[in-house]
Amino acid sequence: MGKIMLEVKDLKTKYVTRFHEDVYAVDGVSFRIEEGKSLGVAGESGCGKSTLALSMMGYYFPPLHYISGDIIIDGKDISGLDPDTVRKTVLGTEIAYIPQAAMNALNPTQKIIRFVEDVIRAHDPKADRKEIRARAEARFAELGLPADVLDKHAVELSGGMKQRTVIAVSTILSPKVLIADEPSSALDVTSQKMVIKMLRELMEKGYIKSMLFITHELPLLYNVTDDIMVMYAGQIVEKGSAKEMVFDPIHPYSHGLMGSILVPEEGTRGTTLTAIPGTPPNLKKPPRGCRFAERCRYATDECRYHAVAEKPFGEGRSYRCILPVDKLREVYENE
Amino acid sequence: MKHTLRQVFHSSKFLVGFIIFLLILLTIWIYPFFNPGNPLEMIGVGTFARPGSYVSLYDALNTSTETLRLADADDKRLDKLLSDTDRISMLDWFDSAGVDVGDLDIEDTDTLLDLWFANYSSDLKPAGMTNAKRNYYKRLNNSLMQVRAADTLTITDVDEATGDPVTKGTVTKTDYVNIGQVANVKRLPLGTDNFGRDVLKELVSATGTSIIIGLIAGVVATLIGLTLGLLAGYVGGLADDIIMFITNIFTVIPSFVLLILISYSIGQEQRGASVVAIVIGFTSWTWTARSVRSQVISLRNRDHVNLSKLSGHSLVRIIATDILPYIASYVVMAFILQVSSGILSEAQLSLLGLGPKTTVTPTLGLMMNWAMLYSAHTNGSWWAYFPVILTITLISFSLNLMNTGLDQVFNPTLRD
Amino acid sequence: MKGYRKYFGKKILWFLLTLVAAVILNFILPRLMPADPVAAITGKMASGMTDASAVQEVYKRYEAEFGTNKPLFQQFLIFVKNLFRGVLGTSFSQYPRKVSDIISSAIGWTIGLQLPAILVGWLLGNILGALAAYIRKGFDKVLLPVALFLSNVPAFGMAVTLLVIFAVNLKIAPVSGGYAFDLLPSVSWKFFQSVISHYQLPFWSVVLVSIGGQAIGMRSMSIYELNADYVKYARFLGIKDRKIVGYVFRNAMLPQVTGLALSIGTMIGGALVAEIIFSYPGLGSTMYSAVTAADYPLISATTLIITVMVLIVTFLLDIIYGFIDPRVKAAQFDV
Repeated sequence: MGKIMLEVKDLKTKYVTRFHEDVYAVDGVSFRIEEGKSLGVAGESGCGKSTLALSMMGYYFPPLHYISGDIIIDGKDISGLDPDTVRKTVLGTEIAYIPQAAMNALNPTQKIIRFVEDVIRAHDPKADRKEIRARAEARFAELGLPADVLDKHAVELSGGMKQRTVIAVSTILSPKVLIADEPSSALDVTSQKMVIKMLRELMEKGYIKSMLFITHELPLLYNVTDDIMVMYAGQIVEKGSAKEMVFDPIHPYSHGLMGSILVPEEGTRGTTLTAIPGTPPNLKKPPRGCRFAERCRYATDECRYHAVAEKPFGEGRSYRCILPVDKLREVYENE
Repeated sequence: MKHTLRQVFHSSKFLVGFIIFLLILLTIWIYPFFNPGNPLEMIGVGTFARPGSYVSLYDALNTSTETLRLADADDKRLDKLLSDTDRISMLDWFDSAGVDVGDLDIEDTDTLLDLWFANYSSDLKPAGMTNAKRNYYKRLNNSLMQVRAADTLTITDVDEATGDPVTKGTVTKTDYVNIGQVANVKRLPLGTDNFGRDVLKELVSATGTSIIIGLIAGVVATLIGLTLGLLAGYVGGLADDIIMFITNIFTVIPSFVLLILISYSIGQEQRGASVVAIVIGFTSWTWTARSVRSQVISLRNRDHVNLSKLSGHSLVRIIATDILPYIASYVVMAFILQVSSGILSEAQLSLLGLGPKTTVTPTLGLMMNWAMLYSAHTNGSWWAYFPVILTITLISFSLNLMNTGLDQVFNPTLRD
Repeated sequence: MKGYRKYFGKKILWFLLTLVAAVILNFILPRLMPADPVAAITGKMASGMTDASAVQEVYKRYEAEFGTNKPLFQQFLIFVKNLFRGVLGTSFSQYPRKVSDIISSAIGWTIGLQLPAILVGWLLGNILGALAAYIRKGFDKVLLPVALFLSNVPAFGMAVTLLVIFAVNLKIAPVSGGYAFDLLPSVSWKFFQSVISHYQLPFWSVVLVSIGGQAIGMRSMSIYELNADYVKYARFLGIKDRKIVGYVFRNAMLPQVTGLALSIGTMIGGALVAEIIFSYPGLGSTMYSAVTAADYPLISATTLIITVMVLIVTFLLDIIYGFIDPRVKAAQFDV
């Protein structure tokens, strides 16, 4: 087993709405990522994926609030630090973030190089302009980005170029953990490919040590990440290696999710596409029992009243369902 | 529709604006019942009577009196008689006459008067005092003596036969009449204007006229803007180019200038309130046209419009059922702003002397114009212009509040 | 660069087109109306004359002076030719002064008053609006209603109020005029002092009226920008909040330049009326005396000059905006 780069223990955060209601969007999430590995997070929209990404930064501002749990990056717990320390010593250097909508992530009236300067100087106020420029040029060239991008404004870049610029700027300080929140979902296929290639390069060249990749597109996860976890209603319902998760999903929700897509691999021929009926529960008042029970085809009364803990099985896998693994496999087999 | 209305009325800004505007409208409607008649009737002969209640002296004298002994009556009388300038003048006199007054408080009327009567002499001629100033002190002294001395005023009449004065009766300091018993009392809460007209009555009537001018201007501007915007947006092509060309030109050329040119050219005689209103409408349609056009362009290719087109619905029907309901909120918002700017435009035109010529109803602008022409602002007659400014501001404030409220309901990104 | 050239070319073309349209309107509007200005002037000038042929004589003279006895198109050519030579006719009310003389002595006062006042009002309004958006809470609760109310006070109302408070009651400022009536314009300290003290009230009345509207616009623009994605992204890269607020206000303020361009016509209209209240020797008062004296050539020339002023200011603001906001440049490339 490699060195653990990121470990999250029982993380809980909430949103507070305009009407002062609490929405428990991340409710007890634990996982770890080893050095050089990437973890994918899958789930429907509204399941708490993006909130998880924001909660990982250890830097909270309204409407998001921290409740409890640990975020340990390379052995250092950042969850208890005060915001200014996090800003100076963690953001960008330990953990970096790529936002969902890269289209609007860059200040439209600022040249890219000025933004890079601001990022670097936020951690090293004395950094020299020329040095920053040299550093940015070198990194941009290495990642295959044209040099003139630095002297342009965000509005002058195409969508794909903007996204790649955002990735390059986010990782300019070589963070240990990169959190990518649907970095490619708004792009065309070609740009999508380039973004994925770039993320891989970053990892191979050691500019990032580990990655959490969030998307609602499962086939992408299968191709990009080593492990996959599935989130539902603010909780992890199943974790495992990418291959196992795609070909042998255990939790009824993961099973349904995998059933709703096509993976272009051998052995998937002939499968029929299914959809999961219903919508995720309201997280202002999460259900008492299994959160998926409302929509689950195999749910019993017991599921509705008893909360289920994450249960380990197989090789480092875990799932959150009262039915045993074998029983579930059997049910799926007979469908 | 019902839901939208409920949302609109939930916006506190809209509600406050709506209530202010409603109160103004209610006043316009109700006030004439209490104070009917021609708002331009000149009831006063002089200019700028102060606000307050006016009691007919003639009737008051002929009203049976009641004797009231009020301890502070004399003080009040003196206080009223002695203005601050008089008091300061008295101090000046003491100074120039070399009387040591110590640290006298000029608000202390009793001490001041005692000192005065003890020292003042009309024969004294302090150095450097002009004749006019000395005469002023004589007059002041006389009126002070009167207050101190006489307890009764005698009313005399002239005997028709002999021409001799005949005593008709006396009025003592303790005689009071009940205002309710006096035959003629006129309340003028805002006094009279330069022509001796009841300002409050005039103001209420003027507010009504000005709002009507604003409404007419708003309707005209909205109709023009809506028509042009719909044509440009829906028909597109050459019609769009031509309309946008004209609209852009009229956006940049200040409407204020156009208003002046047109109003002046129409001539004083033809310029009634409604003509001015229509002219204002003709110069303020560009915003409606622009926003309607851009809205229509974004609607033009929506599915429900295409469906209507494929179903062979007529242009009028498509516009009425598939387009207008979607742009209604923008049009209403633009209309509200046009009403408020129409009222302001009328006021500005009137101040320039290009306002409506009217002999029946005043407008807020005309009232302002009259007040300025007769220098109400420099002679202290605040009641002739300040209520007018306040009314214009309140109308415009309430309309803009409503508009902001609507904007927040219909443009959620601005919601906070 | 090509984008810029195209942008400026288009703007210059528009400027010229509107200028032509304004000149045509200025010429044609009075002539389309049923009233005969020449007859009106003749009536005024010949009042007291009993001899019909003498009145006829006067009428003929003015007809010739105006050229109204010629066909409309020819009249227009003469009008334009005269404009190019700076000939604007002779004033009736201040006979025999040339209209161009009257205008040139008034225009300096108007520009000197309104340009700084509107700019200061714009700047103060923007600062207040930005503060309201950033501080929110109490400050915003007080400032917003006050700004809304202020922006609805008509310019002349503000002028009268200031005049009554500071000049009539407190007597700390002069009541009317551009300088003390017992002075002659000269380059002297005394004259300069007099001009400054007469400047205060008209200046602040224009400033106060323009602050409100600008503050409201800036506030909602800033709130919009504060919620933009780039704010969140920059925060997660560890950039200081103060720096991010700088981005936001720059981005919110730039469109306010266009806002100023769009409202400048209305602002100048209001300010001209405020001039009348103070009998300030600018174009507003000139226009007022021209209207009261039915001085037709003077009215026509003043309106034309005001239009041209507004057009030039709008044009300049457009050009400045094109330079300072890269979003415009990008939009031009898109077209």
